[in-house]
Amino acid sequence: MAYFARRFLFFIGTLWAAVTLNFLIPRLQPGDPAEAIVSRLAGQSESIDPAQLQAIRIMLGTPDGNLFEQYLQYLGAVVQGDFGVSYTYFPYSVTHMIGQALPWTVILVGVTQIISFIVGTLLGTWAAYRRNSRVDSVITLGSTFLGTLPFFWLALLLIYVFAITLRWFPERGGYGGGSSPGWSWIFISDAFQHSVLPAVALLITGPIGWIIGMRNNMVQSLGEDHARLAVARGLPRRRIALTYGARIAILPNVTGFAIALGSVLGGTVLVETVFNYPGMGRLLLESVSSRDYPLMQAIFLFTTVGVLVANFLADLLYGFLDPRVRKAETA
Amino acid sequence: MSTPAPAVPAPGADTEGLQVAATEQARHSRLPGWFVILWRNGKCRIGLLMLGAFVLVALLAPLIAPYDPRGDDFPTSLAPTGGHWLGTTAQGEDVFSQLIVGARTSLIVGLAAGLLSTLIGLVIGLTAGYLQGWVDEVLSFLINLGLVVPALPLMVTLAAYAPVRGLWLIIAVISVTGWAYGARIKRSQIITLRTRDYITAARFAGDGTARIIAREIVPNMTSLIVVGFMGAALGAIGGEAGLAFLGLGDPQTVSWGTMLNQASLGGALLTGQWAWLIAPGLALSLLITSFTLINFGIDALSNPHLRED
Amino acid sequence: MTLLQVENLSVTYTPRDLPANRAVHDVTFDIDEGEFVGLLGESGCGKSTLGNAVLRLLSPPARISGGRVVFDGVDVTTASEDELRALRWTDLSTVFQSSMNSLNPVIRVQAQFADTFAAHRIPGDVTARATELLELVSLDRHVLRAYPHELSGGMKQRVALALALALRPKLVVLDEPTTGLDVVVQRSILTRLAELRRELGFAVLFISHDLGTVLEMADRVMVMYGGEIVENRTAAGMLHEPRHPYTRGLLGSYADPRLPDVQVTYIPGRPPDLSRPHRGCLFTPRCPHAEDACREVHPELLPERGGLVRCLVAQEDRLPVVRLGAADAAATIGSHFPATGALTDPGGTPDVVAEAVLSVDQVSKRYTTRRGLRTSTTDAVRDVSFTLHPGRVTALVGQSGSGKSTIARLVTGVERPSSGEVRFEGGSGPTVRVDRLRGRALVDYRRHVQMVFQDPFSALNPTRTVAYALSRPLVNFAGLRGTAIRERSAQLLESVGLAPAGQFLDKLPHQLSGGQRQRVVTARALAPDPQVLIADEPISMLDVSIRAEILELLGELVRNRRLAMLYITHDLLSARLLADEVLVLNQGVLVERGPTRDVIGAARDDYTRLLLDSIPNPFAPAKRSGDASVVRSAQPGG
Repeated sequence: MAYFARRFLFFIGTLWAAVTLNFLIPRLQPGDPAEAIVSRLAGQSESIDPAQLQAIRIMLGTPDGNLFEQYLQYLGAVVQGDFGVSYTYFPYSVTHMIGQALPWTVILVGVTQIISFIVGTLLGTWAAYRRNSRVDSVITLGSTFLGTLPFFWLALLLIYVFAITLRWFPERGGYGGGSSPGWSWIFISDAFQHSVLPAVALLITGPIGWIIGMRNNMVQSLGEDHARLAVARGLPRRRIALTYGARIAILPNVTGFAIALGSVLGGTVLVETVFNYPGMGRLLLESVSSRDYPLMQAIFLFTTVGVLVANFLADLLYGFLDPRVRKAETA
Repeated sequence: MSTPAPAVPAPGADTEGLQVAATEQARHSRLPGWFVILWRNGKCRIGLLMLGAFVLVALLAPLIAPYDPRGDDFPTSLAPTGGHWLGTTAQGEDVFSQLIVGARTSLIVGLAAGLLSTLIGLVIGLTAGYLQGWVDEVLSFLINLGLVVPALPLMVTLAAYAPVRGLWLIIAVISVTGWAYGARIKRSQIITLRTRDYITAARFAGDGTARIIAREIVPNMTSLIVVGFMGAALGAIGGEAGLAFLGLGDPQTVSWGTMLNQASLGGALLTGQWAWLIAPGLALSLLITSFTLINFGIDALSNPHLRED
Repeated sequence: MTLLQVENLSVTYTPRDLPANRAVHDVTFDIDEGEFVGLLGESGCGKSTLGNAVLRLLSPPARISGGRVVFDGVDVTTASEDELRALRWTDLSTVFQSSMNSLNPVIRVQAQFADTFAAHRIPGDVTARATELLELVSLDRHVLRAYPHELSGGMKQRVALALALALRPKLVVLDEPTTGLDVVVQRSILTRLAELRRELGFAVLFISHDLGTVLEMADRVMVMYGGEIVENRTAAGMLHEPRHPYTRGLLGSYADPRLPDVQVTYIPGRPPDLSRPHRGCLFTPRCPHAEDACREVHPELLPERGGLVRCLVAQEDRLPVVRLGAADAAATIGSHFPATGALTDPGGTPDVVAEAVLSVDQVSKRYTTRRGLRTSTTDAVRDVSFTLHPGRVTALVGQSGSGKSTIARLVTGVERPSSGEVRFEGGSGPTVRVDRLRGRALVDYRRHVQMVFQDPFSALNPTRTVAYALSRPLVNFAGLRGTAIRERSAQLLESVGLAPAGQFLDKLPHQLSGGQRQRVVTARALAPDPQVLIADEPISMLDVSIRAEILELLGELVRNRRLAMLYITHDLLSARLLADEVLVLNQGVLVERGPTRDVIGAARDDYTRLLLDSIPNPFAPAKRSGDASVVRSAQPGG
């Protein structure tokens, strides 16, 4: 049980650290952070209405209180899930804005991450199973080559070819002007149409890490004595590949996959920006460019917490999948 | 970023063996032993040649670039012509000149942020692994935290708060977010190395901790440090391009990321200026390829399991 | 009935950047049904490669470059994967050297048995069958539910053995099956193996570097050197009339420590580099009988006196004849290496014992480990006292886990005792309380107390030259600077027998043999001119044929330099050869102590006798007629 206790402590610790980091980042700049933000907004020659100032104050706490009081106030607000009010979308609360963006991201990125992991793991296993064959070099070299392509650039090329030149898919956005969000067939098929290109962009590069990781881990574990002994024992090739290779090779990828799933909450800033897709990533970038600090802070915290929770769950799962870990950490 | 995890020798890989080969090699040749070993590997050699070409272009950029990359007195949105090989931007700047100068930015960021995050990772990883005890507990916590905090959102957030967006800020942001992976690998490697009898022997020979780390341990980790640096530099180049593409880069600097950002905003997609769109991405991709090839070579040398037989 | 035929088998390693290496060259031999054949050789001789080739388990860059292996009528070298799979395990099984890694770490032991039965379509209750098999190797059925990491090394190796016997194979290839295990555990596994073979009647190819074990267990022994079989004859024949000079050398390195006169020899030099072409006999450079023809003509493996031998001198019958009785075997063989000088035991001649330089006084060490909320304590060392004297060797003998290494750490100040005192009285100043040293004082103390390590491959930094390794203590302790460092280093190397020193100073560790490395490690320990030398199993990682060489060096150093040495070992033979006094440690407690000859020759404590009985003894007179293990335990302790 010590293993699980340790992982839980780590989870609590990182959670606290992330929340505190989120508190500290805006305060790292000299002077009163609220004033600094206000003056920066003023510098952008926008008029600051009192509501915006109020939103900033809510986010940063009373400037008169000392840092520790501000910190307590902030913790209290976070625990209640109160992240204040967005001032670009005033009077909407930050929580509301996140609620709007989240489903888009979770569906697009979540689905592609799962597919990427499955495809990547299978291809990596296949390459290792046929090590040093033509299949192996095609998979390994192919994924390495694709991995060198900057993927926002790939996304731009996809738009150029399939949306602008061929006009097969819509160019940008999450849904067209002709439909409005709801459970209607028109909307769903429209949203699907819009999600194809971003999904393709994510799916081209997504499996690469899993392929390379799986292949290398598996080649390594198939080279070990227990796998050689399995050969000597006359076990079928497939059985050796799965139980003595893939079963062990996939373990390190479990944590990686959990983190990837956790980071889904944050969306993918690059792809969503290129496709102007109404998810969390674009919302983060928008909040950054319009200096909507409460929104930005909340998205960052939300993303981090998502990853931490996923990482914690992965650790728990790992404890069951790999019998060695439970033991090793107690010793 | 979407770049795959760089090929890094698994903990316990034969970094000592590789180092021995390099030391051996250095005695027979005037070139550094490292270079000779890498050069002998086919993939590595291609990677080194490609990287060399990029470095050359970056160094000679003012001589090669036909125009001032910021000079905007040309007709706007030109398709490639004899005078402007890759056309002009929506502001009337020469794309080819920007491409050449952009190599500088990418390499500077890669070198500086790569070095910085390798250094942070080295110091933290070595301290944690060598001292152990509560120091290790605290530093390991930091490392694990650094590993799980999502990098790009953190970069974006940090960049958003920065008062001035200079190139050095970008470098700092990338380094602060990218050191943890290297630190973890170095920590586990030093934990393996510090149990070696030659470390105990050095202590019995009267050597102090600092000397033992510098002279006995670090030399046996060189391949790990080099691979770690290459990985960090690769991540930094990608990170800079990503930030710049998002419009969060240094507005004063021409980089491949800002070029793509402007190409995207300036309607290169609609006007069909494929050269403006393709060239920076391709350059970036080739630079990343060169790093990947070099890393593959190092990995093949130091990890016997992955060696192609 | 011939079960396995190996014909002109060659295996070549072709690494990418290195020259090709013919690890196994033109090897021919047979194994009959039910026969127990030993394959004896030292590290790098190709014995494991040969074993893997027989099983067709070679992986690149190694490949079979010639010849064939026929098992039960099937040509293993050319058989298809399917033909091979039918053969594997049902007829031909194996136990690997490293018990640590030969079981799949993420599935339970039962699943590994189930896998094996399923692969060969054996119907029936897996649990019942597996339980039965575990009983064969004296393991409880609850082991089935365990994961490999929950088992000790010895248990894992028993599981591996049970697995190997699961389908009642005709031949089992055992590759160093007990290496790395504790002597007592080794003994019990080997005893069980011998019994099982008698019950089940399988043939064995037993690969080992351990001459005592091989000669004791096997019906017939093949000796390998430089990738070739140099001798092949019955174990009895080999024991009484070894015909190859190398076999004679190996036998000479072994002796029964209980005999009144113990003498061992070593073979100078190092094995051939197989990546280079050789003319003549590969053993020539190390051979005391080599003639001109040996350097020119490569000898064939030819019948000679009831066996096969690859030696021109033996074939032409010019080898000095020795008829060896069991008792004086070592002594007689030893005389064939006069040039090297035989190492005899010190014979316990305590002249005037000098004052103690180091006293360990009622020392205990308790470790506290925390597991979650519970804490548990282990007493690694309990109430141990002894003294070390100039010019004398004190051996500390015990199994792994007996607390030997903890004592070494306490004496060198790496750790502090929980109670008791460690006093160093050899310095010029007042007595040093070692158990209280820290910082600078500890560094100063180590000027006087130095260590020789177990593993010469880990004790030298692979990236640093010999000169660098030697320079550090000279700079730190002797305060030497400039050219004086190199001069002194050269002197040190020559004092440990590495002459001319100039040849060695600029070498990297990997360019040296194991024995040479251990000499460099010793030279480094001598550099500060210490008064106490702690040698922690200094020969256990070395090849058998050169162990005596290092022992001889250590013995000379102790006597010439008036060093006080603590010699830590599990090997009673080496303790007998080197030490004046023996301390036997069992679970942290000293159970027996006294002059070497008394303790080993007439052990009083049960544990000491258990250690003695665990030593394989091919010279035991009754061995060939019956059960080896029974003979062993019936053997009186002197």
